[in-house]
Amino acid sequence: MSTSHSISADNLCRWVDSLAGRFQVLGPVAAKRGQNVFAPIDNSAPLALDYCTTMLGPRFFIYPSVQRLCKIDRETNTYMAADPGPARTQLIFAIHPCDMHAISVLDRTFLGPNKDFYYAKRRQETYTVVLNCSRACDQGFCASMGTGPFLRLTEGFDVVMTALDGEYLLEAGSPRGQELIETAPGLQKTGRMRLYEKSRLEQQAAASFTKSLETEGLPELLMRTFEHPVYKEVADARCLGCSNCVLVCPTCFCYKMVDRVDFEAKIVERSRHWDACQDYWFAEVHDGNFRQPQQARLRQFMTHKLCTWVEQYGCFGCIGCGRCMTWCPTGIDITEMAKEIQRAPTRQLELG
Amino acid sequence: MGNGNGSDILEDNPLIPQLARVQKKITESADTISLRLVRADSRPLGYRPGQFNMLGLPGFKEAPFSFSSLEDYTGTFVHTIRAAGNVVSALCRLRQGDHVTFRGPFGTGWPLDKALGRNLILVAGGIGMAPLRPVVDYVRENRDSFRDVFLLYGAKTTDDLLYRRQLAQWNEEITVLLAADRVRGELPLPVQEGVVTKLLPRVHTALSETISFMCGPQVMIKFAAGALLLDGQSAGDIYVSLERRMECGVAQCGHCQIGAKFVCKDGPVFALADITRFQDTLL
Ligand code: SF4
Ligand code: SF4
Repeated sequence: MSTSHSISADNLCRWVDSLAGRFQVLGPVAAKRGQNVFAPIDNSAPLALDYCTTMLGPRFFIYPSVQRLCKIDRETNTYMAADPGPARTQLIFAIHPCDMHAISVLDRTFLGPNKDFYYAKRRQETYTVVLNCSRACDQGFCASMGTGPFLRLTEGFDVVMTALDGEYLLEAGSPRGQELIETAPGLQKTGRMRLYEKSRLEQQAAASFTKSLETEGLPELLMRTFEHPVYKEVADARCLGCSNCVLVCPTCFCYKMVDRVDFEAKIVERSRHWDACQDYWFAEVHDGNFRQPQQARLRQFMTHKLCTWVEQYGCFGCIGCGRCMTWCPTGIDITEMAKEIQRAPTRQLELG
Repeated sequence: MGNGNGSDILEDNPLIPQLARVQKKITESADTISLRLVRADSRPLGYRPGQFNMLGLPGFKEAPFSFSSLEDYTGTFVHTIRAAGNVVSALCRLRQGDHVTFRGPFGTGWPLDKALGRNLILVAGGIGMAPLRPVVDYVRENRDSFRDVFLLYGAKTTDDLLYRRQLAQWNEEITVLLAADRVRGELPLPVQEGVVTKLLPRVHTALSETISFMCGPQVMIKFAAGALLLDGQSAGDIYVSLERRMECGVAQCGHCQIGAKFVCKDGPVFALADITRFQDTLL
């Protein structure tokens, strides 16, 4: 990483104002019922930089919930362009480290050997400016997952900011991020002292977490305990199969195709829509349904995030944001389920 | 295809289908047809036995189908289709000259190299014969490379057995054993009444020197694989072709996952030993 700079809070606002002229800036703003959401902004005024978390991670802007893949003319059998990417280059401002990690997790699905053109285009046309977290959020356990409270990535983002005594430390993660920083007004070069303070703040922030998960040996343990009774107990007692957990999870990638035919049955629009493994039909084929009981679907969600993802992509599928447990109507918490398996790995289902 | 407006996003994009024409439609049984397709530009696909295409019709989405022919590098390929479900029924209604879309070939295919110089047992049930037909064709073209080769093939009734005109021909080079739940009608080969696993006792060969490939309904795979395991065949030598819901074919849509495996990318053919450690593998 190249030299770091600091900038006053006022200048940070001016910087955002100028960025809004160049980019479609997407930042955290206040919404109803005390919530924050990522929304397009024209200037720095609506920014809520002290936001805790958002219901949806900003993955939405790179991997939209509905994405047009192509239009097909059924008469001439020709294919026409699809999602052309964002109208203006996007800039996600003040994305938290866990959500930045989530995008880097999604990259492994969509930018791997079968590169996805739509995702690649949006990813390329989206700048990311990360804001490190100086305190834990209620349900987060990113410190356990190695994805926060400060960014651990060395690439795949553009700028990372850290709030330090009313100032902001700016560090570049890419050449285009460096170029972005150089456009900021009132930039000051910082010395080693500032970086020392940053690491001290990071330790403080990491110590403020109340929620944690022991990840050492967890994938191996879960691989051995697919029959653990916790899945059936929790599924039977509380899981509604509503799919909230999947829809708010910032690393979930599953989708289904949808063909929409126009009135004259001439033009077909093919798009992909986010899909959820909690849906009853998700794993159904002609021969039957491979995850017909809810417990099988709940187990699929949890073991994918905390176990099989590691074999697939070399990282956890959970970045510890706490969204699935926050937005589950019955408060099902995968860290609690994992802890129960860790506590009693060989427990059997009680009869009767 | 992809000649719409030259947009870069349409080129070499695995989610954008290509166009093929129905060269020939063959009725295989009361509910099953084969489509011989030719790619619009006649370029060969370079597919291998056990791989699959996502076949589709605009407006009806797509579904995965294994190749039921052996690549002959003329740009043609065959899929055998049984009418079941929306897109599939629409495909069955196609006529010669009609167009269909395809994406592929996807997947890894049958590990034919592992069977070279060894015995080979093929177990097929119903439409599960389709992905194994190119294996039979390959074996017949390279008969000296394999030792004892058996095809155990079962269907609901005698009339439901596919590729009926070819079975007797195959029997000249490999041992073809047939079974049907209900035996009726005429076939040049004897048909045993009952399920396909009932044919297994008629296979006399050293299982330690044998590779098995199977494709068919879940129950058939369960019982056939179970019987072979009991007889001492290793789970690493039994390969199954699995059916899963697929929307993309390129390990993105998530539907086909079995534990850490994507059936579309890592399969659809798996060694039993590689998947039984996961849950929700067989019904
Ligand atoms: S599994 Fe839950 S805590 Fe983990 S990343 Fe997904 S939503 Fe966040
Ligand atoms: S949000 Fe909760 S109730 Fe809904 S499917 Fe997920 S775990 Fe089940």
